[in-house]
Amino acid sequence: MQASRLESGGYIDRNSSIEFFFDGRSLTGYRGDTLASALLANNVSMVARSIKYHRPRGILSAGLEEPNALVACVDEAGNLIPNLKATEVWLQPGLKAHSQNNWPCLKIDVGALLQLFSRFLSAGFYYKTFMWPPSGWPRVYEKLIRQVAGQGRVTLGADQKYYDRRQTRCDTLVIGAGSQGIVEALAASGRNESVLLVDQDSRVGGSSQWDLQPGDAGNQQQWLKQKLIQLEQASNIRCMANTLAFGQYDHGLVLAVEQHTSGVHSIYWRIRAKRIVLATGSIEQPLIFPGNDRPGIMLAAATRQYIYRYAVKPGRRAFLAIIDPADRAATATALVHAGVEIVGELGEGEVISATKGRYRLKMVCVFSRHGQQKIYQCDLLCVSAGWSRNSDLSAQIGKDRFEVAGNSQNQAHGGGAWSFVDYQNDVQCSDIESAVHEGFSHVEHTKRYTTVGMGTDQGKTSWYGTTQALADLTGRQFGSISRTTMRPPYSPVSFGALAGANTDQHMVPVRRSPFHSVLEKYRCVFQTSGEWLYSRYFPVADESMIDAVCREVFAVRNAVGCVDMSTLGKVDVKGADAIRFLSRVYCNDIENIQAGRLRYAVMLREDGMVFDDGTVSCLAENHFLITMTTANSAAVWRWLNRLLQVHWPELDVQLTLVTDHYASLAIAGPNARSLLADMSPEFGCNRDDFPFASVRTGWLDEKVSCRVFSLSYSGELSFEINVPARHAHWLYQRVIELGADHGVTPYGLEALDVLRIEKGHLAVGTEIDGRTTAQDLGLGNMVATHKDYIGASLLQRPVLKDTNRLQLVGLVPVDDTRDIPTGAQLVDRKWCAGDVMNSIGRMTAVINSPTLGCSIGLALLKHGHHRFQDTLWAASPIENRSTEVRVVDRCFYDPGGSRLRD
Amino acid sequence: MLLIPCPNCGERDEGEFNYGGRARVFPPIEKTASVEDWHRSIHFASHEQGQVHEYWYHHGGCECWIEVKRNLHNHEIAAVNATRSDTDRSGT
Repeated sequence: MQASRLESGGYIDRNSSIEFFFDGRSLTGYRGDTLASALLANNVSMVARSIKYHRPRGILSAGLEEPNALVACVDEAGNLIPNLKATEVWLQPGLKAHSQNNWPCLKIDVGALLQLFSRFLSAGFYYKTFMWPPSGWPRVYEKLIRQVAGQGRVTLGADQKYYDRRQTRCDTLVIGAGSQGIVEALAASGRNESVLLVDQDSRVGGSSQWDLQPGDAGNQQQWLKQKLIQLEQASNIRCMANTLAFGQYDHGLVLAVEQHTSGVHSIYWRIRAKRIVLATGSIEQPLIFPGNDRPGIMLAAATRQYIYRYAVKPGRRAFLAIIDPADRAATATALVHAGVEIVGELGEGEVISATKGRYRLKMVCVFSRHGQQKIYQCDLLCVSAGWSRNSDLSAQIGKDRFEVAGNSQNQAHGGGAWSFVDYQNDVQCSDIESAVHEGFSHVEHTKRYTTVGMGTDQGKTSWYGTTQALADLTGRQFGSISRTTMRPPYSPVSFGALAGANTDQHMVPVRRSPFHSVLEKYRCVFQTSGEWLYSRYFPVADESMIDAVCREVFAVRNAVGCVDMSTLGKVDVKGADAIRFLSRVYCNDIENIQAGRLRYAVMLREDGMVFDDGTVSCLAENHFLITMTTANSAAVWRWLNRLLQVHWPELDVQLTLVTDHYASLAIAGPNARSLLADMSPEFGCNRDDFPFASVRTGWLDEKVSCRVFSLSYSGELSFEINVPARHAHWLYQRVIELGADHGVTPYGLEALDVLRIEKGHLAVGTEIDGRTTAQDLGLGNMVATHKDYIGASLLQRPVLKDTNRLQLVGLVPVDDTRDIPTGAQLVDRKWCAGDVMNSIGRMTAVINSPTLGCSIGLALLKHGHHRFQDTLWAASPIENRSTEVRVVDRCFYDPGGSRLRD
Repeated sequence: MLLIPCPNCGERDEGEFNYGGRARVFPPIEKTASVEDWHRSIHFASHEQGQVHEYWYHHGGCECWIEVKRNLHNHEIAAVNATRSDTDRSGT
C-alpha cells in the first residue's frame, strides 16, 4: 500500500512491485523509483538528521544536488555504504537502507539536544574552543571531536563488488542528455562526427520528458519522441545513461563513471574528445528563510519531477514560494494534476518569517510588506529562488568562474535562526555573517571558515545563497563574487570505481625472474623489491628466517651457494664509438679494457654525485655488456638513451636492453670454481684460464649457450652464469644436482645483503643515496683523473672536496656482545633518553654478522675517513638506546680480496 | 593529463611518457669546459613562463626522447620533434 502514489502516470513499472527496507521497516515501490521517490510514495518525509544540530531533514531535490537525504545502504557483500543520496539510489528488490547520524533512532535522537547549544556552535567553533592547551589536542579534543563529528559509518570489510576501467575516444562528447544535449549530439552526428552522449540519469531526455510547460498540448513530448528515434538511428552516436562525467582535464580528457545495477558495479571511463559540449543544465536554488530546512520543504522542479516522473503526491496542502512566475505556474499546474490543494503563494514583497512542524512541516508564517503576519497550514512548501547554471565542468579547467547564476533573480537573503544556506553542513546565515565580521569575507575564506559547500553535495544548492549573503553583507555586486575553485569530482565517486580492477595483486604489475617457478620448488620465501618478486631466503623444515640466513651465509663462506641475479639491469652496447661512449658515462678508467675482461664501474650524475654502479664487460671489440642495479635500471636506461639521442647523436652506438633475455645465477663460495668445472663448460675453468674479473662465452654441457662472469658481490670467489631465459629451469636444476657434492645451498636477498655488508660493498638507496660522491664512499681512487666523463666538471666544486663531509666507514660495537641499533644517528657522547644532541652521521646498514660473530654496520660519518679507531655512540631514539661503537674500515671481511682471486 | 603527439607513434597519453625537464644546453664534458657552464645548465635553469621546450621520453612506445614545445599557460603543444635523425641508427 503506497499511500501517496498517484493512480496513474509516471515513468515507473507498476507491474514490478519491489519490496525494500528503510530502518528495518518493510515498504514497497516500483521499478523505476529512486529510494527517495519510493519513500515519498510511502509517505515517509523525514529521512535523515543533519550533521551538526541533528535537525530532522527530508528530501529537498530529485537529483545529485540533494544535500539532506543521505542514507546508508547495505551492498551485496553486506557492507554498509554510507552517505548515499536517496535521490540517486535506484530501488532494488530487498534494498536495505538506513538513516544516519542519529541515536537511538531517527525520531528520538539524543544528538538533537545539540540544537540547544547552537549559539555556542557557531562558525570557527573548533578553532576558537580547542586552542589551549596544545597538548589537549591529541589526548582529549581529537578523540572527543571524532566521536561526535562525521556523517555515516563505514564498515571495514573488503569491497567485494566488481569494477572495470575502460577508455574511449570520440570527435564530440556531449555531457548532459537533455533536450539541448540531444540537439547538439544530432548536429554533430550530421557533420559525420563520432559522438558520445552521456548523462548521469538513467533515462535520456532530461527534464523535458516530464517537466511539461502549461498549455503545451503534447508538442514537447512529440518532439522528444522524434529526437530519441533519430538518436537511436544515428550509427555514429553512442548514448551512455547512468554515466556521471565528473571531471574535465587537459587536452579533452573527461573522466566518467558508468553505474550498473547488475554484474559489474561500475565502469570508470577515460574519454578523450576532440570537442566537448557541456549541456549540463541548471540547478534550482532554494530560498533562505528561518526554518527553511524542515521535511516537506522541496524545490519546485523536484516537486514537479516527483509528480510527473514518479507519480508521487508529495503532500496534501502546498504553499508556493517560487520567484519565477513561469516556474510558479508550472508547479501549480503539476500540483493540481496530483490533487494537491494549494493554500497560498508568496507574494511580491512578502517574506517567510517562520515554519513550524516537528518531523514534518505543519505551517508557514508569512510577513507581508506592511508587517502583517499570515499563517498557512500546509505540509508541502515548494521553493525556488531561481536557477544556477551548472558550469562545474568548465570551471574545473579554469573557465567560467564568474558565472554563478544563470537566470536567477535577486532576492534579498533572509536572516534569523535556522536560516540555512548550506543544509548538508548545517551552515546558517548567521555563520556567514560572523565569518564576514571576523574578516573571512573572501569567498574562499568564507568557505573554509564556515564549511559552506564542503559537503558531499559540494554546495550545489548553497552557492547561490552564500554568494548573495556575501554580496549583501559586504556591499559588493552579486556578479562580482566568484565561486570557489572547483575541482573534480563534480559529484562523489567511490574509491572502488576509481581503483577499478587495480586492486591487490593487480595494483602494480609483478615481475618474476625466469627462475621463479623452480625457486618455488625449493621452498623459497619471496619478497617484493620494487616490481620484482625476489627470492628472500630458503627455510629448511621449520627454520626461522634468521637461522636460515645464517646457514645460507655460512654455506657461501665455507662451501658454495647459488643466488638469482636476473633482476640486475643488463644493456648490450655495440658500435664503433661504444667504448668512447662508456668512457664518458663511467667515471673510472675503462678505455683500455681487453676483450674477455670486465671491470667494476661507477656512473655519476651531472652534478658529480654517484648515480649507479655495475660492471662493464668487454665481449669483443666494439661490443660490451653493462649491468646496473635492479632499482636504477629503468633510470639508467633512460639516461643512456637520452645521452645518445639528445646530446651526442654523432656517436655510433646501439643500445639494447637485455635484462629479460637472460637467466642469471651466481654461484659463490670457495667451491664455486670446482662446481663450474663440473658443469663442463666449453672454456677452461682454472685460475689462469678464467681469472677474476673476466667473462667467458661458450656452451654448457655442449647444449646451452652461456656467458659466465667472474665477479663478486659477496666477497667470495664467484661466477655469474647467464643463459637464455628459457633455460633457467635447466640451469638451476643442474647447479643443484652437480652442486650436491660441493655443498651447494640456495640463498636469497637477505643473505646477499649480509654478505655484502660484511664485505663493505655498496647498495643503492642506502649508501648510494644521491647525496654521496665517489670520494665519500671510499671509491675516490677509482675516479679517473686524466679523462673526460659526466660529472667531472662539477666534481671540482670545493664543497665536494671538503673532508668534513659524511664519509662511509664501518662500525663495530666496543662491547661485541651488544647490538648496534638500526637506523641510528651517530653522536660523540653517550645518548640517554631525552638528550638533544647534534648528529655527526647516520647508520646506513646494520646486521648481526654470522661470520664475525658480532653486530656490524656501515655508516656515513662526518670526516669519517680520518676517524678510524675513534669511539662514538650510535643512538636510536626510536629504540630508546645507544651503543658505543668503534670506527673501522668499511670492509670487514677479507680486505685484501685474496678469496675472490682464488 | 596531456595528449602528446609523438612523432613516431602518434597521439599518446602522458602516462606513456617520462618528463625530462626543460630542454637545455648540454655543455661539453671536456675538462677544459668551464664549471660555470655546467652550473648554468643544471643549477641555474631558466624558469620562464609561456612557451617552453621540454624533453619527454616515450617509454611506453618508441623509447625515443622527443622535444616538445608546450605553452605552460594552456598546455597547448605547438611542435614536437624527434631529437635524433634516424640516419645514424643503422645496425639496430
